[in-house]
Parts: sequence; structure tokens; C-alpha cells
Amino acid sequence: MGFDLVGIFQTVIDGVLFGSTYALIGMGFTLIFGAMEKLNMAFAASSIGGAYIGLGISTLLGLPLFLTFFIGPIAAGLLGLLVYLTCFRFIPTDNHLGSLMASIGALFFIDEVIIHETNGSPLNFPELGLFAEAYFEFGEFGFRGDLIFIMLLSFVFMGVIMYVLYKTRLGLATRAVSQQHIASLLCGIPTHKTNAVTFVLAGVLGGFAGCLVATSVGVISPLLTLPITIKGLIAAVIGGLGSIRGAIIAGLLIGGLENLFLLLRGVNERDIYVFLLLFLFLVFRPNGLFGSTINRD
Amino acid sequence: MEYYLGILQNIGFHSLLGFSAYLLLLTGQLSLAQVGFFAIGAYTSGILTVIFGLHIYPALLTGALLSGLFAFLVGFPALRIKGLMLVVATIAFSEIVRLFFFNLRWQVGEIGFEVGPDGAQGFREIRYFAANGWEQYETVILIWSIVFLVMISLWWLDRVKAGAVLRAVGNDELAAQSSGINLTAVKVAAMTGGGFIAGIGGGLYAHSTTYVDHNSFTILLATFAVAYPILGGLRNVFGTLFAVIFIQGFLIEGLRFLGDYRNLLFGALIVIVMNIKPKGLVDGSFVGLIKKYVPALKGKRDELT
Repeated sequence: MGFDLVGIFQTVIDGVLFGSTYALIGMGFTLIFGAMEKLNMAFAASSIGGAYIGLGISTLLGLPLFLTFFIGPIAAGLLGLLVYLTCFRFIPTDNHLGSLMASIGALFFIDEVIIHETNGSPLNFPELGLFAEAYFEFGEFGFRGDLIFIMLLSFVFMGVIMYVLYKTRLGLATRAVSQQHIASLLCGIPTHKTNAVTFVLAGVLGGFAGCLVATSVGVISPLLTLPITIKGLIAAVIGGLGSIRGAIIAGLLIGGLENLFLLLRGVNERDIYVFLLLFLFLVFRPNGLFGSTINRD
Repeated sequence: MEYYLGILQNIGFHSLLGFSAYLLLLTGQLSLAQVGFFAIGAYTSGILTVIFGLHIYPALLTGALLSGLFAFLVGFPALRIKGLMLVVATIAFSEIVRLFFFNLRWQVGEIGFEVGPDGAQGFREIRYFAANGWEQYETVILIWSIVFLVMISLWWLDRVKAGAVLRAVGNDELAAQSSGINLTAVKVAAMTGGGFIAGIGGGLYAHSTTYVDHNSFTILLATFAVAYPILGGLRNVFGTLFAVIFIQGFLIEGLRFLGDYRNLLFGALIVIVMNIKPKGLVDGSFVGLIKKYVPALKGKRDELT
């Protein structure tokens, strides 16, 4: 089988561009993990759920479809808050299994609500206007306009999140809560409120990611949730849980490698290699690319 | 009658899955790999009876041993990571197993009458029970004898030192380690045991339904597996059985008239129970309630509370 080098590069480029959506979801996971040292398994489900609500509202009210990209993230933020209230707020903080299990329950609940409402069939998702038709060519390589837009947007979000975390009082509070829960309580930081705001922030981020995934695939379907959950988690873990730039880089890496495996081994075996990559990381670099040593669960 | 026997079989497989997750949860490890071990047991024992014409018992045992071996191997890298990372790693493991069987084609026999796993088409005609004249109630007896055997072993485990060691690791790893407990050995042992139990369950499942494919072994099933012990509570093994009967018997079968709303209920149920009873349904107050009304148990020492 002869593969030309140009084809391989082209594949990897497409993958890396699509990987920015994994990076966004991975960032959401890592943001919540950073704040609470807990995994919110329902995160990707609430992101897709937000995109659905955005699409639903703008279709039902006859609004211009581009508003989906504004309503979706807001709805996802609210869903994030709902997940926080139902799965994290009232379960004792030291009960890791409890909130993890509850968020898995919420994942399936959101998924099933979507399946129930749409009868499980995928819906068409609006395209990103003129970005969808744009196609850039550099020499022999081509770049899909909408994917480039997604990538740029995810870098913008990364900047915003970094700014919030490191330059604002809210970010200071979030980091304080994650580093020393009790000390932050003693300093008068309202931990529940801080956590709730983090969930909303992550939810908005996820809502954008959900819309972007849906628009680049062209349809939105409840079948998207589980793959995105798993790929996002892998991005968060390979990047080092708690490290935002790690999640970004790992997300892009996974996107690129995934497409490469797709080209070399076909669609049925593609994910096997991505998961094996995760195992390699877990064995040789359990703390990921940029993670600090984690001493506790 | 067949319908009820079918439900009994179903509760049996799910109990075995739940027990395998229960054993791991005692050491504080939440693993979504149980469905991977379940799949390995199902395919291995199916291949052994269908392609190699083995008897059911050695086939089940081999499937379980192979699952245990894989659990042993997965245990080591998984141990370098803790808690939440383990969840991610085990999801990945289950998906690798599922995709492996999705791609596995191994067919023997005459053209047009091939048997064996056929990739995405699944693995059909695992007809050992039918071919050897087993009645359905006999398979139910086989499944439930194994379920009871596993239950008794787990019940007994709570009465010997090994069980205390498992729970010590689950409650506080650091304290357990400072008391001279070898964490790696304990965790890998629990993982292997869990894999073995799930492997038997998988073998029974494959032979009772006569057909498995990759869709039988999704992350949803892995979630069910850990949901039983967590919903039921880790206090004792009956909690898991209680949760299995509640979910499979009542929620899935009993509420059939609700149609696909039942799937909604499963997610919502987990969220609600975790909020109301974070320690599971069969927790201290529930056991106390039983003792109050069952005179035979009154005053009995409740071990390991």
C-alpha cells in the first residue's frame, strides 16, 4: 500500500484541526477537576444537550440559526449548573464514588432525554455561514475553513479561561479552593458558589464545543456524546489532569493521530490505537504531559 | 414460564457482573473494565464450545481464567494511577476489548454453515445448551448455583482476614500501607478476582442467549455493573443482589408499560439515590430496620460496620 507523504500530512492536518473540539471538551473536564478534584462524567452530555437546546429554541422560535451558537452555550452553562446541584453540591465531598456515580447517572439521563425527544434520529445542524465554504490551499495542502475557525475559537477560549483563572478574583478563589479546601473556607471564600461558577464556566465552554462538533460533523445526534466523553477524558488525562494547556495540546495530538490511524488501519480499528496510546501514557507518564504529581485521588 | 425463567437468567448474569465490581469497590477502585472481562469470558467460552467442541464446564472455567489473567495484566498499569484516572483507563480497556471483538473474524466449518465470531455480524449459534438437551430451568439452576457460590465466597470473605484487608485498603490506603499491607498485591488480587467472576458471568451469558456481538458489551453495561454495588451499598453482598433485583426485576421488567421512559428512570434513580443515601440503599439504617422486624437477627453482631 503506497501512501504519499502529502496525503498523510493532509490527513494529520485535518485531524489536528478537528482535534480542537476534543481539546475544548478536555479543557472542561480539566477545569472541573482542577476546581473540585472530581470528574464530572456528565460534562460532554451537558455540552451536547446545550447544543440541542440551542438548536431547538432557535428552530421553534424561528430565530436566525446562527443564534444557536449563542443560545447553545448559555443552555449548556445552565445544564452544567444543574449537574452541579444534582450530582456534586449535596453529596459529601469525601464521597468520591458517590458524585462520580451520580454524574454517570446524569450522563445517561441527559442522553436518554435527548433520544426520547428526538426519537434517536440525528438532526441537521446549521453550518458556520461563510466559514463552511471557505477552503484554503497552501501548495499541495488544503485547510477546511470551518475547522480553522473552530481551532482559532478554541484558542480564544483557552485565552479567556486562562485569563479568568489567573487574573481575576474568581480565578484566584477557584484555585484556592482546589489547592486547599479548608484553608480557603477559613479565608471566607464561598466554596459552593465558586464551584458552581466553575461548573457554569465549564458548561459554557462545553456548549460551544458541542455546537462546534455538531457543525463540523453537519448533524447532531445523541450518538456523539459517548465518543466525545471518552476522547475528551483521554485528552484531559494525557495532557495531565488539571493542566489546561496540556488538555489543548493533547486534544490536538489525539485528533491528528486519530486521523492518521484512520488512514492507515481503517475506521473499525482507529479507536483501538487511540486507547492504546492512553495506556502507554498511563504506564510511562501517569501524570500526563504537563500534570503535576498527584498525591491524592 | 419461559419469560420468568429468562428474567431469572438475566438477574443471574447481572448479579455476577455486580459482584465482580463489588469486589473491586471494596478496595476503593471504581472500575468500568468489568464489561471487558465479561466480554472476554463470553467470547472465549463460546469459541471453546462452538469451535473446539469442549464441554461447558471447562469452557466456562477457561473463559473465567483468561478474563482473570487479563484483569491481572490490566491491574498492574492501572495501579500506577488512582481513583479517577482508573475510571478513564478502565473505560479505555473496555472499549479496546469491544473493538477487538468487533474486528474479530474466526470462522470454521463448511461454506454456508460457518460458525464462530463474524466481526460486526456478531457471534451466532452458541448452542451448547440446546444441542445437549438442556432444559431452560436447568440452565437457570446452573447460573444460580454459580451466583450463590460467588455470594457465599464473598460473604465468607468478609469473615476472614483477607476481607478486612480489602476493606482497610478501601477505607484508607495510607493507613493500610502503614500497617504493612502490600497495596499492589491486594489491588491486583481484587482485580483478578473481579475479572474471574465477570468472566464466568460472560460465559454463562453467551451460552444462555446463544448470540453475542460487540453491542452487548458497551459502556452502559459497565455502568450497570458498578451501579449495582454502589446503589445497593458496600456494607454486604446482599446490597448488590438487592440492587440487581430492583433494577433488572422491577425497573426494567416490572415497569415495562412505561416504554422507553425506563431508560430515563435508570439515570435519574442513580442521581436520586446518591443524593439521599450516598452509602447505598442497604446501609446501616436499613440493616437496623431489618433487625428490628426479624427477631431471629435481633442482637446478632453485625460484622464490619
